[in-house]
Amino acid sequence: MKLTRKSDVAQVADKPTLGISRRQFMKQAGITTGGIAAASLLGTGMMRRAEAKDVPHDAPIEVKRTICSACAVGCGLYAEVQNGVWTGQEPAFDHPFNAGGHCAKGAALREHGHGEKRLKYPMKLVDGKWKKISWEDAINEVGDQMLNIRKESGPDSVYFMGSAKFSNEGCYMYRKLAAMWGTNNVDHSARICHSTTVAGVANTWGYGAQTNSFNDIQNANAIFLIGANPAEAHPVSMQHILIAKEKNNAKIIVVDPRFSRTAAHSDLHCAIRPGTDIPFIYGMLWHIFENGWEDKTFIQQRVFEMETIREEVKKFPPKEVADITGVSEEVVYQAAKLMAENRPGTVIWCMGGTQHHVGNANTRAYCILQLALGNMGVSGGGTNIFRGHDNVQGATDLGLLFDNLPGYYGLTSAAWTHWTHVWDLDMEWVKSRFDQNAYLGKDPMTTPGIPCSRWHDGVLEDKSKLAQKDNIRMAFFWGQSVNTETRQREVRDALDKMDTVVVVDPFPTMAGVMHRRKNGVYLLPAATQFETQGSVSNSGRSIQWREQVIQPLFESKTDIEIMYRLAQKLGIAEQYTKRIAKENGLPVIEEITREINRGMWTIGMTGQSPERIKLHTQNWGTFSNKTLEAAGGPAKGETYGLPWPCWGTPEAKHPGTQILYNQSKHVKDGGGNFRARYGVEYNGKNLLAEGSFSKGAEIQDGYPEFTDKLLKQLGWWDDLTAEEKAEAEGRNWKTDLSGGIVRVAIKHGCIPFGNAKARCIVWTFPDQVPVHREPLYTARRDLVAKYPTYDDMQVHRLPTLYKSIQEKDFSGKYPLVLTSGRLVEYEGGGEESRSNPWLAELQQEMFVEINPGDAADRGIRNGEFVWLEGAEGGRIKVQALVTPRVKPGVTFMPYHFAGVMHGESLAPNYPEGTVPYVIGESANTALTYGYDPVTQMQETKASLCQIVKA
Amino acid sequence: MNKWFKHIGLAIALLFSAVCLANGGDEQALQPQASDAQIWAQLKDGATGYTTSQSEFHAQPINTYDLRVLELRSDWLAPALMAALFGMIIIFVLFIKVNGISKLHHGFSGKLVYRWSKFDVSIHWLGAIPCLMLILTGLTLLAGRFFFQPWLGEGIWEAIVYGAKQIHDVMAIPFMIGWALMTVLWAKNQLPKMYDVKWFLVVGGYINFGPFKGKHPDAGFANAGEKMWFWAFALFGLIISASGMLLLFPNLFEPSRTLSLIALVLHSVSAIVICAFSIVHIFMATVMSEGGMECMVSGYCDENWATQHHNLWYDEIKANGTLKYKE
Amino acid sequence: MATMKFLCDTKRCIECNGCVTACKNENDSALEWGIQRRRVVTINDGQPGEASISVACMHCSDAPCMAVCPANCFYRTEDGIVLHNKDACIGCGYCLYACPFGAPQFPKKGAFGSRGKMDKCTFCAGGPEENHSEAERQKYGSNRIAEGKLPMCAELCATKALLAGDAEVVSSIFRERVAYRGAKNAAWN
Repeated sequence: MKLTRKSDVAQVADKPTLGISRRQFMKQAGITTGGIAAASLLGTGMMRRAEAKDVPHDAPIEVKRTICSACAVGCGLYAEVQNGVWTGQEPAFDHPFNAGGHCAKGAALREHGHGEKRLKYPMKLVDGKWKKISWEDAINEVGDQMLNIRKESGPDSVYFMGSAKFSNEGCYMYRKLAAMWGTNNVDHSARICHSTTVAGVANTWGYGAQTNSFNDIQNANAIFLIGANPAEAHPVSMQHILIAKEKNNAKIIVVDPRFSRTAAHSDLHCAIRPGTDIPFIYGMLWHIFENGWEDKTFIQQRVFEMETIREEVKKFPPKEVADITGVSEEVVYQAAKLMAENRPGTVIWCMGGTQHHVGNANTRAYCILQLALGNMGVSGGGTNIFRGHDNVQGATDLGLLFDNLPGYYGLTSAAWTHWTHVWDLDMEWVKSRFDQNAYLGKDPMTTPGIPCSRWHDGVLEDKSKLAQKDNIRMAFFWGQSVNTETRQREVRDALDKMDTVVVVDPFPTMAGVMHRRKNGVYLLPAATQFETQGSVSNSGRSIQWREQVIQPLFESKTDIEIMYRLAQKLGIAEQYTKRIAKENGLPVIEEITREINRGMWTIGMTGQSPERIKLHTQNWGTFSNKTLEAAGGPAKGETYGLPWPCWGTPEAKHPGTQILYNQSKHVKDGGGNFRARYGVEYNGKNLLAEGSFSKGAEIQDGYPEFTDKLLKQLGWWDDLTAEEKAEAEGRNWKTDLSGGIVRVAIKHGCIPFGNAKARCIVWTFPDQVPVHREPLYTARRDLVAKYPTYDDMQVHRLPTLYKSIQEKDFSGKYPLVLTSGRLVEYEGGGEESRSNPWLAELQQEMFVEINPGDAADRGIRNGEFVWLEGAEGGRIKVQALVTPRVKPGVTFMPYHFAGVMHGESLAPNYPEGTVPYVIGESANTALTYGYDPVTQMQETKASLCQIVKA
Repeated sequence: MNKWFKHIGLAIALLFSAVCLANGGDEQALQPQASDAQIWAQLKDGATGYTTSQSEFHAQPINTYDLRVLELRSDWLAPALMAALFGMIIIFVLFIKVNGISKLHHGFSGKLVYRWSKFDVSIHWLGAIPCLMLILTGLTLLAGRFFFQPWLGEGIWEAIVYGAKQIHDVMAIPFMIGWALMTVLWAKNQLPKMYDVKWFLVVGGYINFGPFKGKHPDAGFANAGEKMWFWAFALFGLIISASGMLLLFPNLFEPSRTLSLIALVLHSVSAIVICAFSIVHIFMATVMSEGGMECMVSGYCDENWATQHHNLWYDEIKANGTLKYKE
Repeated sequence: MATMKFLCDTKRCIECNGCVTACKNENDSALEWGIQRRRVVTINDGQPGEASISVACMHCSDAPCMAVCPANCFYRTEDGIVLHNKDACIGCGYCLYACPFGAPQFPKKGAFGSRGKMDKCTFCAGGPEENHSEAERQKYGSNRIAEGKLPMCAELCATKALLAGDAEVVSSIFRERVAYRGAKNAAWN
């Protein structure tokens, strides 16, 4: 916009440079330490490398297609690279998920190319000082320590904390590394995210994933959000939600203790007391059954044991529900009525539902609501479970879990046999990697490991109580922020106690700085996903390919390279990458994808191939933003990202399944029905579907999952080729690597996993039907007797407390309910986003939301500092945000902050130049005990606290 | 005057998805959600809200104020200040051409009477010199863009206006000190008296023609005209200082934007008054009144000047023996 | 002749601050910590009636900032975008007082009006320097308009609440939205 060309460059600008102004900010924020000035000096030279200002405007632009790494919506964008520097970010208007839109995090994504606060090179802590070391030394020392511990305490004493930020290939290789090392002590943040969803939902109808897609929400007539705040946690999904609201006049019901940004757009906000999801759902079901609003045909054909629920619901008449939940009878009725009158309706939930000690039951209750309404398997319906991290779906699918191998095969010997077969390895060798002894009657190879939520208990617990040889003595924190785990004081003690702490991450993270150690901590700089390539699964199971945007910054290395180097050091590299070709001494990413596709039959992650995924990513514009389908172009007829199940081999060209269990479509076109996963009958009652089947199925009734025997019984065996027969003999659809069984089943219109009913009862869980149980730390002591928690029990390798905590009354000393959640500006533990100045500037202080009434009682004014003490005594000093967002008696904190503990800054513990722009108290320092008995999900949504003026 | 409303209104209407487009017809919403019109009404009333921005005033989407301020400044105050300076000079030059100056009827006596202390003289100049510079730089800031910039090159204009701001900011301090001291220390001699009315009736005796010619009204230490100037200066000096402080030290006073705008207007109005009086004052002292300037050079005045212009004061000091001649 | 405008649809805005960081991202070289050319304000926060709105310079047709600036450093481009010349800015703060939207911001707020050079939204249209010059980038940030693109904030808006472009086009998009919101039910409440 040239007005007049300036001849003389009048230099009057006295404005401070960016660096200085930020330092000034740091000073004001009181984070100044001796290290910071030096840190900036250190940083400058390296920062330059990546700065856009060194690149002339007219340097040639390379455009890369990549996917935002913040949340699991999977927004696409164009990254512009000039001279190897990420200089620009352009909206991908043609992207089917986000149509160019981004939230604060996505819009600030390019900062990944700066990485000022990143770890620059491998470091180790020597006598309290960070010392730069070479990669070679780092791998050698870490590897030697692993081998040493293996010798002394067995393989289970090394813990592999993984990440939902890995690519699918990274997830797979990490799980495989743990397997080859010989342990199930591998997990990632899905444990504390949607583990209860996966358990609850998969046990209801087969798969634990989001059933529909973000885009499909556009077809909903009612949107029921419980424990979900997409306006802040998944902002781009609001695009689809608001379109439904505008175009269909869809009713939006938000069930959340807070009046969230999402609630602001709702038709009905139900502010339940934290931890009362089940009574609320039962309260709705009470009206649904009372008024005959349930879908009787659907229930009769496709739902198992709704009668048991009907009985349970009778215990929750409106008055009782109002008393337990704190929501008026009228509001509960309205919620039920809106859902009944506006079908199809979708149910969306997130951490507000899952992060409870009854999380699995919560998720089952939501599913039951949808089953009663007949909203499953239809466009505009379903349970749209929004996953958190960008690839937490992929990480879960690929078995980055303490109780699973990739593809949810479990840890049975059959599962190990399958994967050993995929890996082309000798079962005996794989077995030999594990501890051969049993502990507390449990065999390490087939027993789930120690969960992400409680690795610290694995370090601190008396080892005689552990179902493994010894305590955890060494842990990798590979892309996981430990400040997202409750009971931070125990986390700190555990970090102190271990022999060795290894952080592999672009940032130092809390595992690297919150301990009080002087030695034995390694920081290995990992590259972000923008410095490598690979596939990523969004919450809707669509798989996208990230192109490499830039070369790894500084001395960082890609996850897969670090894993491979470690495997080489440990002497297992040959087996680790037996079927994977190498290039320049490193495994080829696409080859890893191919190995994934070779083994993931259970969820149909076999029909994709690197080529198919890349084709989709290269042709965003051909997919509809409404239907996700390509009307034309090279992927014509396919659904974007080939959401699994994408049956068969890539050559079968299955289009992917956007909507799970959708009977209106042929299986070959992405149709299906509920999965026959739990047998054909239970207590003499038929578990298979009755008179209901997907379009074109030759078996027009329920049927079990396909095996070689079933094919023979049906007379379809000869549809297999000779090679397929050879492979399929003695196997089933999940283990037949030829894909013959799957192919033939689909040929006959049948879905390989069988056709069953969805279950309202889960007989293998502690509660067969969802049961309301008061939180361990509850303010409603009067309800404890009627709705008590579980008895203490051993869950997998760890003893787990319930009753012994709930018995004690903490509500006198800690009268306020404490819940936690997300901010739009930050993500996860926040180490990365708080190191991004564009985001950090927007949220500079950790805060607690407190109702004006509670604040007035305590003489607290908005913006003042307060001490918040959790029910286990964890104290944090935070700013008060006095707001009606929370009801009287309820407080809320975001969980993204860290770097301050008990009012004390941890900034001096960071290596120079890596202190994030914003640090603050971790909410989890105040949060307390409480774990789901099925998945070991932590309780972060219903605890108690007291707040006093600081 | 209405054009501002119209244009700002357009901007706001475009900004907020408001009134003109969204229509009413409320359905009974389950949750009372604000309609567009309600949101619009709140915003127009200057509602504030929550924002993550730390910047000043960012919690308020729309600050409402009387937009006529803008035209007042550009169309009225800026020309008025020009007129107060250059207009007054022209008028005075013409006046002197027509009327001539006020001569001492008996010439200079050579005997100098003590009138002002050295301290008085210095505080006069402490206020006066900055005042002149403030008038010139203030004029540049208020009216420069209309009257000077069109004739100046871009670089020169930028330098001038930048310099004007710097000088204006710095000179404000001595000016205010001078103003405060003069106001406080000199006030007792400036109290109005009955004979001051007469002084006005004959226009101070400066008219050299018509019925007023040759009249010499009574005057004490200060004549009525001087008193008027003094009190005008005291009052408008207060206003200009107070408003100036708000503008100069926003970090101390944290004025609202509207208050700042009001300060800006009051500052200009005061400047116009002070400027006009200053021109008169300067002309009176230097050109019009023979022998007048001496007072603010040495602090002494000629005895004849004293008897002619301040007869009552002269009589008084002579009577009570405080009359002091220069050695 | 186009007249460039922003429009924020409060029924779509969710306060995700995408527009704010989009601006930071795009104009990084000209901005510093503490200067937010765009911000989102939520009124009635946390209670029924809550509404969020993204605010920045509205590029008024008859801009108050332009009217009060002693240095006359503002100008309008032929697209109706209000820009300013930082070299001429004297940091007096008058534009800040006059702007109804709080758009102008200063790096400092010191005594003697030492505020530094004013900064505000440029509609991603740079400044008076030569298009895409280093000087333009350092003082004003990007110049998307010269590349035929629209401001980054609106282009990246998560829910398409923030629209930018020619006033007529923008308001017709919005009118269409209001119409279909009204299609099934007159009110969009």
